[in-house]
Amino acid sequence: MTAGEGSDAEIIARVLSGDVEAFGVLITRYEAGLLRFAARMLGSRDAAADAVAEGLVRAYRHLASCRDPARFRTWMFRIVANRCKSHLARRPVGDVSLDDAPPLAAPENTDAAFERNDQLERLERALGNLAPEKREAFVLKHLDGMSYEEMSAVTGERIPTLKMRVHRAREALLAALKESR
Amino acid sequence: MSQDLDPRIHRVLDGELDRAALRPDERTQVERLEAAARALSDVPAAPGLADRVMGVIRRPIRSPVERFRQWLTARHPVTVSLRPVYSVIIAVLLIALLWRGPGSGPAPLLGEHEGVAQFVARFPEAHSVAVVGAFNDWRPEATPLSDDDHDGVWDARVILPTGSHEYMFVVDGERWVSDPMAGRYVDDGFGRQNAVMEVRPGRSE
Repeated sequence: MTAGEGSDAEIIARVLSGDVEAFGVLITRYEAGLLRFAARMLGSRDAAADAVAEGLVRAYRHLASCRDPARFRTWMFRIVANRCKSHLARRPVGDVSLDDAPPLAAPENTDAAFERNDQLERLERALGNLAPEKREAFVLKHLDGMSYEEMSAVTGERIPTLKMRVHRAREALLAALKESR
Repeated sequence: MSQDLDPRIHRVLDGELDRAALRPDERTQVERLEAAARALSDVPAAPGLADRVMGVIRRPIRSPVERFRQWLTARHPVTVSLRPVYSVIIAVLLIALLWRGPGSGPAPLLGEHEGVAQFVARFPEAHSVAVVGAFNDWRPEATPLSDDDHDGVWDARVILPTGSHEYMFVVDGERWVSDPMAGRYVDDGFGRQNAVMEVRPGRSE
Protein backbone atom coordinates (compact mmCIF):
# COMPACT_ATOMS: atom_id res chain seq x y z
CA MET A 1 0.00 0.00 0.00
CA THR A 2 1.36 3.41 -0.86
CA ALA A 3 1.35 5.99 1.90
CA GLY A 4 -1.20 8.71 1.43
CA GLU A 5 -3.39 6.67 -0.92
CA GLY A 6 -5.34 4.91 1.78
CA SER A 7 -6.47 1.35 2.33
CA ASP A 8 -8.31 -0.65 -0.30
CA ALA A 9 -11.56 -0.03 1.58
CA GLU A 10 -10.98 3.73 1.56
CA ILE A 11 -10.18 3.78 -2.15
CA ILE A 12 -13.22 1.66 -2.93
CA ALA A 13 -15.38 4.11 -0.99
CA ARG A 14 -13.94 6.96 -3.08
CA VAL A 15 -14.63 5.11 -6.33
CA LEU A 16 -18.18 4.30 -5.26
CA SER A 17 -18.79 7.93 -4.42
CA GLY A 18 -17.90 8.90 -8.00
CA ASP A 19 -14.12 9.27 -8.05
CA VAL A 20 -13.47 7.02 -11.05
CA GLU A 21 -9.77 7.91 -11.18
CA ALA A 22 -9.22 6.42 -7.73
CA PHE A 23 -9.67 2.99 -9.27
CA GLY A 24 -6.28 3.58 -10.91
CA VAL A 25 -4.68 3.25 -7.49
CA LEU A 26 -6.12 -0.24 -7.10
CA ILE A 27 -4.92 -1.15 -10.58
CA THR A 28 -1.40 0.02 -9.78
CA ARG A 29 -1.48 -1.85 -6.52
CA TYR A 30 -2.54 -5.25 -7.90
CA GLU A 31 -1.72 -5.21 -11.60
CA ALA A 32 1.65 -6.98 -11.32
CA GLY A 33 0.37 -9.77 -9.06
CA LEU A 34 -2.72 -10.37 -11.17
CA LEU A 35 -0.67 -10.38 -14.36
CA ARG A 36 1.81 -12.86 -12.87
CA PHE A 37 -1.01 -15.13 -11.78
CA ALA A 38 -2.81 -14.95 -15.15
CA ALA A 39 0.39 -15.35 -17.18
CA ARG A 40 1.31 -18.50 -15.29
CA MET A 41 -2.24 -19.83 -15.51
CA LEU A 42 -2.57 -19.21 -19.24
CA GLY A 43 1.05 -19.54 -20.38
CA SER A 44 0.67 -16.46 -22.56
CA ARG A 45 1.42 -12.85 -21.71
CA ASP A 46 -1.11 -11.48 -24.21
CA ALA A 47 -3.90 -13.74 -23.00
CA ALA A 48 -2.98 -12.85 -19.42
CA ALA A 49 -3.16 -9.12 -20.15
CA ASP A 50 -6.61 -9.65 -21.70
CA ALA A 51 -7.82 -11.69 -18.71
CA VAL A 52 -6.53 -9.11 -16.22
CA ALA A 53 -7.99 -6.18 -18.16
CA GLU A 54 -11.36 -7.92 -18.43
CA GLY A 55 -11.21 -8.80 -14.73
CA LEU A 56 -10.40 -5.24 -13.68
CA VAL A 57 -13.20 -3.77 -15.77
CA ARG A 58 -15.57 -6.36 -14.35
CA ALA A 59 -14.42 -5.57 -10.82
CA TYR A 60 -15.02 -1.86 -11.38
CA ARG A 61 -18.51 -2.50 -12.76
CA HIS A 62 -19.41 -4.70 -9.78
CA LEU A 63 -17.45 -2.85 -7.12
CA ALA A 64 -20.59 -2.18 -5.11
CA SER A 65 -21.06 -5.94 -4.71
CA CYS A 66 -17.62 -6.37 -3.08
CA ARG A 67 -18.96 -7.25 0.37
CA ASP A 68 -15.69 -6.90 2.22
CA PRO A 69 -13.60 -4.10 0.67
CA ALA A 70 -10.75 -4.94 3.07
CA ARG A 71 -10.43 -8.21 1.16
CA PHE A 72 -10.48 -6.60 -2.24
CA ARG A 73 -7.30 -8.44 -3.21
CA THR A 74 -8.76 -11.94 -2.89
CA TRP A 75 -12.03 -10.77 -4.52
CA MET A 76 -10.03 -9.39 -7.44
CA PHE A 77 -7.97 -12.57 -7.79
CA ARG A 78 -11.17 -14.57 -7.78
CA ILE A 79 -12.53 -12.54 -10.68
CA VAL A 80 -9.30 -12.90 -12.69
CA ALA A 81 -9.13 -16.61 -11.85
CA ASN A 82 -12.59 -17.00 -13.34
CA ARG A 83 -11.55 -15.05 -16.43
CA CYS A 84 -8.57 -17.42 -16.77
CA LYS A 85 -10.88 -20.44 -16.49
CA SER A 86 -13.05 -19.00 -19.27
CA HIS A 87 -9.97 -18.48 -21.46
CA LEU A 88 -8.77 -22.02 -20.78
CA ALA A 89 -12.22 -23.44 -21.54
CA ARG A 90 -12.31 -21.66 -24.92
CA ARG A 91 -8.87 -22.83 -25.86
CA PRO A 92 -8.13 -26.13 -27.63
CA VAL A 93 -7.00 -28.97 -25.37
CA GLY A 94 -3.21 -29.05 -24.96
CA ASP A 95 -2.77 -25.41 -25.87
CA VAL A 96 -1.48 -24.57 -22.40
CA SER A 97 1.92 -26.05 -23.11
CA LEU A 98 4.63 -23.51 -23.68
CA ASP A 99 6.60 -25.84 -25.96
CA ASP A 100 6.46 -23.41 -28.85
CA ALA A 101 6.67 -20.23 -26.84
CA PRO A 102 9.76 -18.45 -25.55
CA PRO A 103 10.11 -18.12 -21.78
CA LEU A 104 8.05 -15.33 -20.35
CA ALA A 105 11.08 -13.77 -18.70
CA ALA A 106 13.21 -11.70 -21.08
CA PRO A 107 16.29 -13.66 -22.17
CA GLU A 108 19.77 -12.31 -21.50
CA ASN A 109 22.78 -12.92 -23.63
CA THR A 110 25.10 -14.90 -21.35
CA ASP A 111 25.78 -18.61 -20.82
CA ALA A 112 24.43 -18.44 -17.29
CA ALA A 113 21.33 -16.70 -18.56
CA PHE A 114 20.97 -19.35 -21.25
CA GLU A 115 21.09 -22.06 -18.62
CA ARG A 116 18.60 -20.16 -16.49
CA ASN A 117 16.28 -19.74 -19.44
CA ASP A 118 16.59 -23.41 -20.30
CA GLN A 119 15.60 -24.31 -16.77
CA LEU A 120 12.85 -21.71 -16.79
CA GLU A 121 11.42 -23.22 -19.95
CA ARG A 122 11.35 -26.64 -18.28
CA LEU A 123 9.62 -25.16 -15.27
CA GLU A 124 7.10 -23.34 -17.40
CA ARG A 125 6.42 -26.52 -19.34
CA ALA A 126 6.02 -28.52 -16.14
CA LEU A 127 3.69 -25.86 -14.73
CA GLY A 128 1.70 -25.79 -17.98
CA ASN A 129 1.35 -29.57 -17.90
CA LEU A 130 -0.22 -29.50 -14.45
CA ALA A 131 -4.00 -29.71 -14.17
CA PRO A 132 -5.34 -26.11 -14.00
CA GLU A 133 -6.51 -26.45 -10.40
CA LYS A 134 -3.05 -27.62 -9.25
CA ARG A 135 -1.38 -24.89 -11.28
CA GLU A 136 -3.71 -22.33 -9.73
CA ALA A 137 -2.98 -23.56 -6.21
CA PHE A 138 0.79 -23.51 -6.73
CA VAL A 139 0.80 -20.05 -8.32
CA LEU A 140 -1.36 -18.51 -5.61
CA LYS A 141 0.75 -20.09 -2.88
CA HIS A 142 4.26 -19.64 -4.14
CA LEU A 143 4.15 -16.85 -6.72
CA ASP A 144 1.56 -14.60 -5.09
CA GLY A 145 2.45 -15.63 -1.56
CA MET A 146 -1.08 -16.23 -0.34
CA SER A 147 -2.02 -18.04 2.82
CA TYR A 148 -4.25 -21.09 2.47
CA GLU A 149 -7.09 -19.04 3.94
CA GLU A 150 -6.70 -16.42 1.22
CA MET A 151 -6.42 -19.14 -1.43
CA SER A 152 -9.64 -20.62 -0.12
CA ALA A 153 -11.34 -17.23 -0.50
CA VAL A 154 -10.07 -16.98 -4.08
CA THR A 155 -10.88 -20.50 -5.23
CA GLY A 156 -13.82 -21.42 -3.01
CA GLU A 157 -12.05 -24.70 -2.19
CA ARG A 158 -11.39 -26.18 1.24
CA ILE A 159 -7.93 -25.76 2.72
CA PRO A 160 -7.05 -29.51 2.82
CA THR A 161 -7.93 -29.73 -0.88
CA LEU A 162 -5.72 -26.76 -1.67
CA LYS A 163 -2.84 -28.18 0.37
CA MET A 164 -3.05 -31.44 -1.51
CA ARG A 165 -2.99 -29.59 -4.84
CA VAL A 166 0.02 -27.52 -3.83
CA HIS A 167 1.86 -30.63 -2.65
CA ARG A 168 1.24 -32.45 -5.92
CA ALA A 169 2.33 -29.41 -7.90
CA ARG A 170 5.57 -29.10 -5.89
CA GLU A 171 6.38 -32.74 -6.49
CA ALA A 172 5.76 -32.42 -10.23
CA LEU A 173 7.94 -29.32 -10.51
CA LEU A 174 10.73 -30.85 -8.46
CA ALA A 175 10.64 -33.91 -10.71
CA ALA A 176 10.90 -31.63 -13.76
CA LEU A 177 13.94 -29.92 -12.23
CA LYS A 178 15.57 -33.29 -11.52
CA GLU A 179 15.12 -34.33 -15.16
CA SER A 180 16.94 -31.20 -16.24
CA ARG A 181 20.07 -32.02 -14.27
CA MET B 1 7.95 -39.06 -12.78
CA SER B 2 7.11 -37.11 -9.63
CA GLN B 3 7.51 -38.78 -6.29
CA ASP B 4 6.00 -38.00 -2.91
CA LEU B 5 8.02 -35.52 -0.91
CA ASP B 6 8.52 -35.99 2.79
CA PRO B 7 5.59 -34.28 4.56
CA ARG B 8 8.09 -32.26 6.62
CA ILE B 9 9.33 -30.62 3.43
CA HIS B 10 5.78 -29.51 2.66
CA ARG B 11 5.38 -28.24 6.22
CA VAL B 12 8.53 -26.18 5.91
CA LEU B 13 7.33 -24.76 2.57
CA ASP B 14 3.95 -24.02 4.15
CA GLY B 15 5.67 -22.13 6.99
CA GLU B 16 4.55 -24.65 9.60
CA LEU B 17 8.00 -26.03 10.44
CA ASP B 18 11.43 -24.51 10.73
CA ARG B 19 13.83 -25.68 8.01
CA ALA B 20 16.40 -26.46 10.67
CA ALA B 21 14.34 -29.59 11.28
CA LEU B 22 15.30 -30.93 7.86
CA ARG B 23 18.32 -32.92 6.74
CA PRO B 24 20.71 -31.09 4.37
CA ASP B 25 19.41 -32.96 1.29
CA GLU B 26 15.84 -32.13 2.24
CA ARG B 27 16.79 -28.50 2.70
CA THR B 28 18.24 -28.56 -0.81
CA GLN B 29 14.86 -29.63 -2.17
CA VAL B 30 13.17 -26.77 -0.33
CA GLU B 31 15.69 -24.31 -1.74
CA ARG B 32 15.24 -25.64 -5.26
CA LEU B 33 11.48 -25.23 -5.05
CA GLU B 34 11.87 -21.74 -3.65
CA ALA B 35 14.26 -20.88 -6.49
CA ALA B 36 11.77 -22.30 -9.00
CA ALA B 37 9.01 -20.14 -7.54
CA ARG B 38 11.24 -17.05 -7.75
CA ALA B 39 12.09 -17.82 -11.39
CA LEU B 40 8.43 -18.29 -12.27
CA SER B 41 7.51 -15.07 -10.46
CA ASP B 42 9.44 -13.03 -12.98
CA VAL B 43 6.74 -12.03 -15.46
CA PRO B 44 7.28 -8.93 -17.61
CA ALA B 45 4.79 -6.11 -17.19
CA ALA B 46 2.09 -5.49 -19.77
CA PRO B 47 2.61 -1.87 -20.86
CA GLY B 48 -0.57 0.13 -21.23
CA LEU B 49 -2.74 -2.28 -19.27
CA ALA B 50 -3.79 0.33 -16.71
CA ASP B 51 -4.54 2.91 -19.42
CA ARG B 52 -6.57 0.33 -21.31
CA VAL B 53 -8.69 -0.44 -18.26
CA MET B 54 -9.10 3.19 -17.26
CA GLY B 55 -10.07 4.05 -20.84
CA VAL B 56 -12.91 1.55 -20.65
CA ILE B 57 -14.21 2.50 -17.24
CA ARG B 58 -14.12 6.24 -17.96
CA ARG B 59 -16.70 5.71 -20.70
CA PRO B 60 -20.22 6.14 -19.38
CA ILE B 61 -22.19 2.94 -19.03
CA ARG B 62 -24.95 2.82 -21.60
CA SER B 63 -28.45 2.08 -20.42
CA PRO B 64 -30.00 -1.31 -21.27
CA VAL B 65 -32.29 0.45 -23.76
CA GLU B 66 -29.32 2.08 -25.47
CA ARG B 67 -27.44 -1.23 -25.55
CA PHE B 68 -30.51 -2.95 -27.04
CA ARG B 69 -30.86 -0.21 -29.65
CA GLN B 70 -27.24 -0.61 -30.63
CA TRP B 71 -27.60 -4.38 -30.74
CA LEU B 72 -30.54 -3.97 -33.09
CA THR B 73 -28.78 -1.57 -35.43
CA ALA B 74 -25.21 -2.89 -35.34
CA ARG B 75 -23.97 -5.47 -37.79
CA HIS B 76 -23.58 -8.94 -36.31
CA PRO B 77 -21.79 -11.81 -37.96
CA VAL B 78 -24.18 -14.76 -38.19
CA THR B 79 -22.90 -18.25 -38.85
CA VAL B 80 -25.31 -21.05 -39.71
CA SER B 81 -23.99 -24.58 -39.87
CA LEU B 82 -26.19 -26.94 -41.88
CA ARG B 83 -25.87 -30.47 -43.08
CA PRO B 84 -25.83 -30.48 -46.90
CA VAL B 85 -29.16 -32.31 -46.99
CA TYR B 86 -30.85 -29.45 -45.12
CA SER B 87 -29.20 -26.90 -47.40
CA VAL B 88 -30.71 -28.70 -50.41
CA ILE B 89 -34.17 -28.87 -48.79
CA ILE B 90 -34.08 -25.14 -47.98
CA ALA B 91 -32.94 -24.31 -51.51
CA VAL B 92 -35.81 -26.36 -53.00
CA LEU B 93 -38.34 -24.66 -50.70
CA LEU B 94 -37.04 -21.22 -51.63
CA ILE B 95 -37.23 -22.02 -55.35
CA ALA B 96 -40.78 -23.35 -54.89
CA LEU B 97 -41.79 -20.19 -53.06
CA LEU B 98 -40.26 -17.86 -55.62
CA TRP B 99 -41.39 -19.77 -58.71
CA ARG B 100 -45.12 -19.51 -58.57
CA GLY B 101 -47.49 -20.08 -61.42
CA PRO B 102 -49.05 -17.24 -63.44
CA GLY B 103 -51.78 -15.40 -61.60
CA SER B 104 -50.97 -16.93 -58.22
CA GLY B 105 -48.55 -14.34 -56.96
CA PRO B 106 -49.02 -10.78 -55.84
CA ALA B 107 -49.67 -8.11 -58.43
CA PRO B 108 -46.54 -7.42 -60.46
CA LEU B 109 -44.97 -4.01 -60.35
CA LEU B 110 -46.87 -1.73 -62.69
CA GLY B 111 -45.84 1.30 -64.66
CA GLU B 112 -47.50 4.62 -64.07
CA HIS B 113 -49.84 4.12 -67.08
CA GLU B 114 -50.55 0.42 -66.64
CA GLY B 115 -53.21 -1.56 -64.89
CA VAL B 116 -54.19 -5.18 -64.42
CA ALA B 117 -57.10 -6.37 -66.47
CA GLN B 118 -58.84 -9.47 -65.18
CA PHE B 119 -60.83 -11.44 -67.74
CA VAL B 120 -63.36 -13.88 -66.31
CA ALA B 121 -65.90 -15.93 -68.23
CA ARG B 122 -68.03 -19.01 -67.63
CA PHE B 123 -67.81 -21.67 -70.32
CA PRO B 124 -68.58 -25.03 -68.65
CA GLU B 125 -68.21 -27.14 -71.82
CA ALA B 126 -65.12 -25.43 -73.22
CA HIS B 127 -61.76 -27.12 -73.64
CA SER B 128 -59.91 -23.84 -74.11
CA VAL B 129 -60.69 -20.16 -73.80
CA ALA B 130 -58.58 -17.21 -74.86
CA VAL B 131 -59.02 -13.47 -74.85
CA VAL B 132 -58.24 -11.43 -77.93
CA GLY B 133 -58.10 -7.72 -78.56
CA ALA B 134 -56.01 -5.03 -80.10
CA PHE B 135 -53.60 -5.47 -77.19
CA ASN B 136 -52.56 -8.88 -78.59
CA ASP B 137 -53.35 -8.27 -82.26
CA TRP B 138 -56.48 -10.44 -81.94
CA ARG B 139 -54.35 -13.58 -81.85
CA PRO B 140 -56.19 -16.42 -80.01
CA GLU B 141 -52.98 -18.16 -79.01
CA ALA B 142 -51.52 -15.09 -77.31
CA THR B 143 -53.53 -14.89 -74.08
CA PRO B 144 -55.17 -18.12 -72.89
CA LEU B 145 -57.47 -18.18 -69.88
CA SER B 146 -57.14 -20.97 -67.35
CA ASP B 147 -59.58 -23.09 -65.39
CA ASP B 148 -57.34 -24.83 -62.87
CA ASP B 149 -60.15 -26.23 -60.73
CA HIS B 150 -62.31 -27.33 -63.74
CA ASP B 151 -65.39 -25.50 -62.50
CA GLY B 152 -66.02 -23.98 -65.92
CA VAL B 153 -64.94 -20.52 -64.85
CA TRP B 154 -61.98 -19.32 -66.88
CA ASP B 155 -59.79 -16.40 -66.01
CA ALA B 156 -56.62 -14.50 -66.88
CA ARG B 157 -54.90 -11.42 -65.53
CA VAL B 158 -53.10 -9.25 -68.05
CA ILE B 159 -51.16 -6.03 -67.66
CA LEU B 160 -52.51 -3.50 -70.14
CA PRO B 161 -52.06 0.20 -70.74
CA THR B 162 -54.68 2.22 -68.93
CA GLY B 163 -57.73 3.18 -70.96
CA SER B 164 -60.44 1.37 -72.98
CA HIS B 165 -59.78 -2.00 -74.56
CA GLU B 166 -62.12 -3.91 -76.89
CA TYR B 167 -61.97 -7.65 -76.56
CA MET B 168 -63.63 -10.97 -77.34
CA PHE B 169 -63.32 -14.49 -76.02
CA VAL B 170 -62.30 -17.34 -78.34
CA VAL B 171 -63.72 -20.66 -77.18
CA ASP B 172 -62.09 -23.93 -78.25
CA GLY B 173 -59.94 -21.98 -80.73
CA GLU B 174 -62.76 -21.19 -83.14
CA ARG B 175 -65.83 -19.73 -81.52
CA TRP B 176 -65.65 -15.97 -80.97
CA VAL B 177 -67.95 -14.89 -78.16
CA SER B 178 -68.66 -11.51 -76.60
CA ASP B 179 -68.23 -11.29 -72.84
CA PRO B 180 -71.79 -11.54 -71.51
CA MET B 181 -70.73 -9.82 -68.28
CA ALA B 182 -69.09 -6.76 -69.89
CA GLY B 183 -70.36 -3.38 -68.84
CA ARG B 184 -70.11 -1.89 -72.30
CA TYR B 185 -70.08 -3.08 -75.90
CA VAL B 186 -69.21 -1.57 -79.25
CA ASP B 187 -70.09 -2.74 -82.71
CA ASP B 188 -67.11 -4.42 -84.40
CA GLY B 189 -68.30 -3.52 -87.91
CA PHE B 190 -68.85 -7.20 -88.78
CA GLY B 191 -72.16 -7.59 -87.04
CA ARG B 192 -70.80 -8.61 -83.63
CA GLN B 193 -70.36 -6.77 -80.37
CA ASN B 194 -66.92 -6.35 -78.87
CA ALA B 195 -66.88 -6.03 -75.12
CA VAL B 196 -65.10 -3.00 -73.72
CA MET B 197 -62.94 -2.97 -70.60
CA GLU B 198 -61.77 0.13 -68.84
CA VAL B 199 -58.30 -0.40 -67.37
CA ARG B 200 -57.39 1.96 -64.58
CA PRO B 201 -53.94 2.53 -63.15
CA GLY B 202 -52.73 -0.19 -60.82
CA ARG B 203 -55.90 -2.22 -60.45
CA SER B 204 -57.95 -4.81 -62.29
CA GLU B 205 -61.44 -4.41 -63.58
